[in-house]
Amino acid sequence: MPQTQIILDDTTWEELLELTHGAAAVCFQCGVCTATCPWGLVREETLSVRSYMRAAQLGLHKNGNEDLWLCTTCAQCEAYCPRGVEIADVFRGLRYLAWKRNQPHHGLSTLLWSVYWNNNPWEQPPSQRANWAKDLAAPQFDPEKHEILYYVGCTASYDSRAQKVARALVKIFQAAGVSFGILGEDEPCCGEEVLSVGHKLYFREMAEKATKTLRERGVTQLVTTDPHSYDAFKNHYNDAIQPLHYTQYLAHLIDQGRLTPRSPIPNSQSLITFHDPCYLSRHNAEIEAPRKVLSAIPGVELVEMPNIADDTLCCGGGGGRMWLETEAGERFSDLRVEEALSTGARILATACPYCIACLEDSVKAKGIEDLAVMDVAEIVAKNIVESALHER
Amino acid sequence: MVESLYNVENENPAIWVFLEHHDGVLEGVSLELLSRGRQLADVIGWELTGLLIGHQVASLAEEAIALGADRVILAEHPLLEHFTVNGYVHVAQQALLEYQPSIFLSGATPDGRDLAGRLAVRMRTGLNADCTDLRLDPKTGILICEVSGFGGGVLALIEMETHRPQMATVRPGVFVPGEADSGRAGSLVSLEFDLPPEIIQTRVVERVSGESLDLTQLPILVCGGRGIHGHFEWMYELANLLGGDVGATRPPVDEGHIERQRQIGSTGAICRPKVAICFGISGAFHFIVGIQEADMVIAINNDPKAEIFDHADYCIVGDTHEIVPALIQEIRDWKMEVGD
Amino acid sequence: MSTLHIVVCIKVVPKPEEIAVDQETMLLIRDGVRSEINPPDMNAIEMALKLKDQYGGRISILSMGPLFFADYLRAPLAMGADHIYLMSDRQFGGADTLATTYTLAAGIRKLGNVDLIFCGEESSDGATGQVPAGLAEWLGINQLTQMDEVVIDPKKKLARGRREIKGGHLTLETPFPVVISAKTACNEPRFMDYTIKPWAFEEGRITIWRREDLEVEDDHIGLSGSPTRVSGLKQAPGRSRQRKFLKGNPAEIANQLGKILQATS
Ligand SMILES: Cc1cc2nc3c(=O)[nH]c(=O)nc-3n(C[C@H](O)[C@H](O)[C@H](O)COP(=O)(O)OP(=O)(O)OC[C@H]3O[C@@H](n4cnc5c(N)ncnc54)[C@H](O)[C@@H]3O)c2cc1C
Ligand code: SF4
Ligand code: SF4
Repeated sequence: MPQTQIILDDTTWEELLELTHGAAAVCFQCGVCTATCPWGLVREETLSVRSYMRAAQLGLHKNGNEDLWLCTTCAQCEAYCPRGVEIADVFRGLRYLAWKRNQPHHGLSTLLWSVYWNNNPWEQPPSQRANWAKDLAAPQFDPEKHEILYYVGCTASYDSRAQKVARALVKIFQAAGVSFGILGEDEPCCGEEVLSVGHKLYFREMAEKATKTLRERGVTQLVTTDPHSYDAFKNHYNDAIQPLHYTQYLAHLIDQGRLTPRSPIPNSQSLITFHDPCYLSRHNAEIEAPRKVLSAIPGVELVEMPNIADDTLCCGGGGGRMWLETEAGERFSDLRVEEALSTGARILATACPYCIACLEDSVKAKGIEDLAVMDVAEIVAKNIVESALHER
Repeated sequence: MVESLYNVENENPAIWVFLEHHDGVLEGVSLELLSRGRQLADVIGWELTGLLIGHQVASLAEEAIALGADRVILAEHPLLEHFTVNGYVHVAQQALLEYQPSIFLSGATPDGRDLAGRLAVRMRTGLNADCTDLRLDPKTGILICEVSGFGGGVLALIEMETHRPQMATVRPGVFVPGEADSGRAGSLVSLEFDLPPEIIQTRVVERVSGESLDLTQLPILVCGGRGIHGHFEWMYELANLLGGDVGATRPPVDEGHIERQRQIGSTGAICRPKVAICFGISGAFHFIVGIQEADMVIAINNDPKAEIFDHADYCIVGDTHEIVPALIQEIRDWKMEVGD
Repeated sequence: MSTLHIVVCIKVVPKPEEIAVDQETMLLIRDGVRSEINPPDMNAIEMALKLKDQYGGRISILSMGPLFFADYLRAPLAMGADHIYLMSDRQFGGADTLATTYTLAAGIRKLGNVDLIFCGEESSDGATGQVPAGLAEWLGINQLTQMDEVVIDPKKKLARGRREIKGGHLTLETPFPVVISAKTACNEPRFMDYTIKPWAFEEGRITIWRREDLEVEDDHIGLSGSPTRVSGLKQAPGRSRQRKFLKGNPAEIANQLGKILQATS
């Protein structure tokens, strides 16, 4: 590990000010962020969030600092900060400085190059982006014919576990009679991961390119698998693309009576608890939609964990952490599945591919047999679609 | 076109194999080339010659003859003790010019490539690199080399009409070494050559054998997952027998069965082995990313529905506790047979 | 001490999974195929940049190929290289190893005063691993190939490199000028620097050299300078996995597996 070295100068200060829109300026160093950050739950010496805010205020840059890459951008701290500091964005700004000095965390340059050459962060062949949908009737998007573009996203396109969620969604759309299309091989990477690891300038470039593609293809309304893509489109693209997370869209369909749950969930699975993904609940205040969708299934009994909604406990996969190893014993998801277990639920539901990966891993690691990690879409596909299909 | 230093008009009907050696032992690929060279030579009735360069290596000549060489050209000199590209190319060129063989083969090892790459240019002839097969047209004596590009996605056959020697480096492992026959007869010829010391410009600072862990470049990767229940001693035994090394999925690393540096996958090492053998691994995407570049994947899992089977060439539904010991036994038996 | 001048020879290759062969013409289909910089060449660029970080100097990127390469060559410029030269001419086409190394050597001679020349250890599209040695031979200089790590002493003009070998490593040292080939994945190539990227992507950043810009002999370049010829080309069954299930009791399965492993090792 390179030695930590502190640099203090005016240019850095100005740069940071610009990169973070001066977000840290109002911080009065109370330390609530450090106290609420989940790293405190798994480490003796927690991530000193406050001191990073201080560094940003002063234009301090710590060279070669590994802690900088710990932040999962979960925004737990933001929910409590009395000054409303956009802390996650300050971290992204500090990370950009590290990029500029050619000091990113090991492995993250590879991630960016993969996005550059492959249009996805997973080093997967771009030509195979639509392979998951080969045997499904998922047509190319046509603005004349389709209500929505289903924006699949990189992880659901390639990760075999997340592909199941994408397939479930296709099934639901078809059952509800939604006319939808996908972009297949031409689907641009949304750049969410690039933003998370702080490469703001590359992200900007990607956002412009993706916007152009989406415009050219006549997209106005898109529905994402992933709360991270949803957040990127909603809060970090300049363009007026209207994104919806799929849970929001399914909630609409239920409201409109287009999707009607009929077949009750088996008794053995009726107790469900929902893990709020940070990028849905905290970053975008969407708490109702997934619960509404789950509750619409007859027989489902939602039980809540202690930390929900604004207070949800991050799975640990945001902020680029999916590409960096987190030592066993320091994984937030381990704590989360304990919480889920304490509710007596048989299904731990969530609505994000990263959350699924982390939570499922923890369930397995703990050898828990009677708690299944499922995506809301999978539960719906299993329990709504068949009944809806019967009516047709 | 640029003229080679000699050509098809004045070639001699011989196949030469560069005999690479380290620490007094012939490289495996040299044995493989002697075996393939013998077959080709017999088809067309040519002579098979080994080129042996080094210092105090004459004893290796006998081995080469036992393995099929009709003749070994020996070039010995204290300055040739270690392979240096300048020294070896200098000597090899003199040998080629003197004997003008039609074909010159070497292994596509680091030294073999260095030698052949330079020698080909010095002889102003063509070179086919990292060949996966060699054939010889018995009528014309033209060597047909199969090379593969794009991770094996494309195969090309390449030949050369007039330039000589016909040079190729051959990927280790594509041919099977033959059996030694100590009764075979062959001749040993010492090469007369000059070697001005100043041409050797590369200094071997050190050559260290010892521990180095680089999973990314291994030929054989033996991977254990949660489903081997901590029995990494089996994995190591297999890896040793097969000349590879051991990797793991994340759970056994987390559980302390094996060190973190051996984790394969999106947050571990990305590997490109010839063969990856996966024991008790479910096939999560985060793991698959680390082996998807493997030429071949073999998977053993007791769950017939395991995802890993979608990513494997050979699939075995079975208990690792039964398959692994049987496989170890099998490979031991086969090693005994070939006298390894 | 004059400033260090480093050349990196790089190549643009089609992405492996996109490659296809036109069965009639027996040529690779390059149209509409996504390409990338040959992966080990990226490692070579990173090796060179590290030395530039340490000792200053300048880096020239040299490539030979069709004009469309130009789009891809800007990335190394944005990583920190100083100049890009693309040798592009119909007459260079169809070159095998001999003609390729001859032409690259001519490019390097034209650049003049070069201390270090980096290459990737091999290119994914076939001309595997023989370019560095051939290039060094045409130039009559030294070579350090398949290096995992390289350090230099610019005052003494010495390069020292480390190569991983079976269960250990080998350290070699040789005076400048020297051709050095970088082992695939030996380092992590840095991402582009976005403060220089706009400059790198401006018009006119790339110097194109045609046949007449180089001192070469016509019968040494391209197809006419290539003694070898391709007599057959076929697409191998792709990387899609076979999914063959082996059946039997453990001993029988072990026997089948043993045969499979024997055939590959
Ligand atoms: C951010 C993140 C990063 C990750 N990075 C990596 C990574 O780099 N590398 C990695 O490997 N994982 C990584 N993971 C974990 C990954 O998601 C999987 O959990 C992991 O790969 C599973 O390992 P496994 O297959 O050994 O275990 P399991 O999924 O538990 O599979 C064990 C398998 O063994 C089989 N089995 C059990 N007993 C036997 C027996 N007696 N005989 C035969 N078969 C048996 C079972 O059927 C099962 O299929 C990461 C996860 C996250 C969230
Ligand atoms: S909680 Fe807010 S105000 Fe308090 S130290 Fe953290 S960023 Fe500053
Ligand atoms: S965003 Fe989350 S991980 Fe990052 S500092 Fe805040 S609480 Fe900690």
